[in-house]
Amino acid sequence: MTSKKQLRRSFILLILALGLALTLSACQRASQQIDTGASSGIAMTLAVNPDPATVGQAQVTVTINDASGQPVSGAAVAIKGDMSHAGMMPVLADATEDGAGVYRTDLEWTMAGDWIVTVTATLADGQTVEQQFDLSVAQ
Amino acid sequence: MTGSTTPIYRPKPAFDLLRVPGLGRLLRWRWGRLVFQLPLAVVAAVMIYDGLTGPKLAPQNLATVAAWVHYRGLVVLALLLAGNLFCMSCPFTLPRTLARRLSGHGRRWPMALRNKWLAIALFVGLLFLYEALDLWASPWLTAWLIVAYFAAAFVFEALFAESPFCKYLCPIGTFNFVGSTISPLQITSRDTQVCRTCVGKECVNGSAQVLGCGTELFVPQMRSNMDCVLCLDCVRACPHDNVALAARKPLAELTIAAWPRRWDVALLALVFAFTALGNAFGMVPPVYALESALARWLGTTNETLILALIFGVIYVALPVLAGVGAAWLSQRLAGAGSLRVVLARYAPAVVPLGFAVWFAHYWFHFASGALTIIPVLQSFLIDHGVTLLGAKPNWRLGAILPADALFLLEMGSVLIGFIASLAVLRRIADNTHEDGRMATRAMAPWLALLALIAVLAVALFTLPMEMRGMMAG
Ligand code: SF4
Ligand code: SF4
Ligand SMILES: [Cu+2]
Repeated sequence: MTSKKQLRRSFILLILALGLALTLSACQRASQQIDTGASSGIAMTLAVNPDPATVGQAQVTVTINDASGQPVSGAAVAIKGDMSHAGMMPVLADATEDGAGVYRTDLEWTMAGDWIVTVTATLADGQTVEQQFDLSVAQ
Repeated sequence: MTGSTTPIYRPKPAFDLLRVPGLGRLLRWRWGRLVFQLPLAVVAAVMIYDGLTGPKLAPQNLATVAAWVHYRGLVVLALLLAGNLFCMSCPFTLPRTLARRLSGHGRRWPMALRNKWLAIALFVGLLFLYEALDLWASPWLTAWLIVAYFAAAFVFEALFAESPFCKYLCPIGTFNFVGSTISPLQITSRDTQVCRTCVGKECVNGSAQVLGCGTELFVPQMRSNMDCVLCLDCVRACPHDNVALAARKPLAELTIAAWPRRWDVALLALVFAFTALGNAFGMVPPVYALESALARWLGTTNETLILALIFGVIYVALPVLAGVGAAWLSQRLAGAGSLRVVLARYAPAVVPLGFAVWFAHYWFHFASGALTIIPVLQSFLIDHGVTLLGAKPNWRLGAILPADALFLLEMGSVLIGFIASLAVLRRIADNTHEDGRMATRAMAPWLALLALIAVLAVALFTLPMEMRGMMAG
């Protein structure tokens, strides 16, 4: 039914498909291209209480400084905690400013394991800076 | 029906899915399989695309959520309620369906590989990679895994005359084949008399227009779902419309010595049960304690080595030792055949319990995170300028069952699996030994093994699950 030629053609198709996948893996969607603040010199730190983190209620503190080390006030700071496993609901919170450049919020670590905390700060001038912090939550 | 055979008595199977109005016609239709494969192919393509280009966090990416939460939860549900529906709709075999035969005169799969050893090795190998590479935490690797499946299925389909990939290689197929032995539906002939006088045996041989069974099963002799991908090619090939997808007695297949009495098939059943334990063990606190204890003891920080040791024991050494050990004891106590025969006779009894452990674990993830796919899909669409599902993802969606109901489901599942395994064990022993006391002695070691698996499973599901692994940083 099928000739050698057709077989060869199917293999060429396969190679093309694999090439497409390779090319795809080199691109990133627009929403994934984030500004970590490195270019503008914005620096963020994250502190948790209790530390080390345990399952349950916690307080999270984000501090934001600019390139000259001055606190950055007036930012809107959103916090999102994700687990490393698919199918886990993220933990969301908005931090409120509590002293110049210091933003705090309460939230709950819902499960033990590895968390990735994404802090998104929208500065007063409209610039959005996003950074991720790894965190291990114990039982 | 043909004129050559006029059956006087034609028993109809109790329930035949292929005769259900509407659905039956669709399933039997020449392109019926495509109706299920094409949507899944689209889903797979989207998963590959999002996995390669989308969010790097597993809970936010369609590839990881759909593969590790939805696929796994739904596949075990389908096996429990109907049969091997995933293989039926498998997108990886699309080329075969479309081309009807890629290489008509391809070579035959080598004789030495016509067994389950490679399938067991690849199944265990994939489960090991799942732990070693934290596949569940990586959209990128998950996408490449899907690509690898497409490529491998395509290559083996193109090079060989039959479908060796499904039967001898595919880890998904291997899982589904063992799982489907507890399924309520099975391919069978409607009337064995018709088959007896059938000349062409098109169901397995195929004809000029249609393919025969790709995994080389012969309908009138089928007593097992093992190796059946529910492609329904046999249904379309049979010129006498004599193939049914019929309901059967629950667990019957496991009690009637339906499987070939081979080491590979018997050990596959045991590997199926122990991998269920191991895969759940991979995410509870003791595994981390064990990892660091081993690391200290061996003086190494090589995580792959440590994981290879742990999972080599659970996935390979334990099932072989437990299976052969129980068979040896059973043979000591009650005789009735060689070690191989005794092992093959009782191995099917571990399948219901093994399936129950897989089911409980997969449903832990599915029931606790099924709805997370909605915000993930929303944000995927929003990224592409489509606000059909809303302009803002709703990240508050998650579980479909409350935590205590989920715990009950896990415990209930293990309990029912244990009871089902006991029932199968009892039946096998009674079929083998006329003397009731002998039967009890023969099954005693297997009873101990089942109890051990059940206790370990309950312990695992009582521990808090932890989601650990590679830090995306
Ligand atoms: S199922 Fe159909 S093709 Fe196969 S042996 Fe029976 S009658 Fe013949
Ligand atoms: S018996 Fe063979 S042809 Fe029939 S559905 Fe199963 S795998 Fe397909
Ligand atoms: Cu798990």
